[in-house]
Amino acid sequence: MSAVTVGATGPVVVNEFAKLRHLRVGLVAGLMVLGTVALTLLSTVTSAEFADPATRTWDVPLAGLSLAVPMVSPLLLAVVASRMVDIEHQGNGWLMGSTSGVTPGALCRAKLLTAGTVVVAATVVTHLAVWALGRLAGIDAPVPVGLWAGFAVTSLAVNLVVLALHLVLSAKVDNQLVALGIGLLGTVVAVFGSGFPGWFAHATPWGYYSLVAVAGYEGEHLVTTAPSYLSVLVLVGLAAALFVLVTSRFDRQEARS
Amino acid sequence: MTPSLSAVLGTELGKLKRSLSWSIVVLLPLVMVFAGSFMTLVSQQQLADGWHTLWLRSVVFYGLFPLTLGLGILASLVWRPEHRGGNWNALMSTPVPTLRIVLAKTLAIALLGAVMQLVLLIAVVVTGKLLFGLPGLLPPRYLLVTALLVVAVLPVAAVQSALSMTFRSFAAPVAVALVGAGIAAVALAAELGGVIFVLPHALTARATQLATGTFGDSGQLTAGGSLAIVCASAVLTLLVVALATRFQERRDVRV
Repeated sequence: MSAVTVGATGPVVVNEFAKLRHLRVGLVAGLMVLGTVALTLLSTVTSAEFADPATRTWDVPLAGLSLAVPMVSPLLLAVVASRMVDIEHQGNGWLMGSTSGVTPGALCRAKLLTAGTVVVAATVVTHLAVWALGRLAGIDAPVPVGLWAGFAVTSLAVNLVVLALHLVLSAKVDNQLVALGIGLLGTVVAVFGSGFPGWFAHATPWGYYSLVAVAGYEGEHLVTTAPSYLSVLVLVGLAAALFVLVTSRFDRQEARS
Repeated sequence: MTPSLSAVLGTELGKLKRSLSWSIVVLLPLVMVFAGSFMTLVSQQQLADGWHTLWLRSVVFYGLFPLTLGLGILASLVWRPEHRGGNWNALMSTPVPTLRIVLAKTLAIALLGAVMQLVLLIAVVVTGKLLFGLPGLLPPRYLLVTALLVVAVLPVAAVQSALSMTFRSFAAPVAVALVGAGIAAVALAAELGGVIFVLPHALTARATQLATGTFGDSGQLTAGGSLAIVCASAVLTLLVVALATRFQERRDVRV
């Protein structure tokens, strides 16, 4: 069998999916869905804007989602990335992969594809669950499809960028304290991001959670805004270029033991 | 002769040299105080109630999530060397009783946690004086709250140590800490005060709310409230250490 066939993307990704089961990545993704939906639900039912059944709108759960996603996602994405990469550090996976034609960079790219698929699925389930629970809670107003879809897509894009960053970090620095510590500090930036000026929000990937928020409270009033599509587009482009660059540099490094 | 607890603790602290533990111990409290202060400056608001407002903005959110997650990461760091190579069996083959190992690991994590609270306290004082020019010094009740916080990190240190002992993964116990912190936040928001006797993460979060008037707190630092924190810390720590020791003695070496 040639090295090209062995190292082809398809089988490597299939292998990565097989690894997910024992890593309990599904469980962590489930926690992400559960945590986000629970926080959204809590902030919705405790909101004064939700008290009158006749005037209930989707803006309230959207404000809840805009707060819950940055609170829950950054750390759990760091956990997913660390779980997926740490086994290669502990089990000599980098060296084994290299000797069978799968370079460390290719392994990282396969991990992003695999974990990214899980994150996309978790995002779809989260938004559908909030919609279903909103209907059950008696929100009869028409769904603001454009605004909601914009938030879903842009917040997913930020999540994928943060995931890619953590995969690279966990792979580069053996001590997982660094990746998880940065994930924790990232959570703080994500949560406080909306209170910081625009330039600060643009400075780190976690600040973009505040740029994609579509609803929030200004004093007592609930206001909606469109997500910053252009900022997110630039972030995704920059992150994709950096991810390809860094992982191709991994390919040119001597195999690690 | 078996090594004493202080000797085992000394060994554990020695393992932490060049482990980057300082990045969590120092950076996390600094970032939390900085975030609270920066938001106040950006919004061009004044600290309505001086030191009290600064303390509240620096400490309450820190206690809800970052503190327990930081302790979770430190616990994983302390146990990480034992899960690598043949170190696990080497640890289990030493003449040190399991209880002493579990206790030393817990104390090492709690000691790092105690330093975190001191860094937080110093950061609040420095920010209050230099950035906001607050009159006088931080009221003494917050020194007492810091001392109670040092005690309150013990049960979280114990439970996260037990988890990191059980799981080889660095990240899994941190995910459990997030779940614990989430349940604690909901329970404290619902003003279920008794949760501090059951869930260590809630106890730590509650200790950060003392004298702040947030969640179910009265805004006063009472003897009863302080005693409840100390008693719950002692009971939960002893219980978790005993359970972890018993579990570990049954597990022993692995191939």
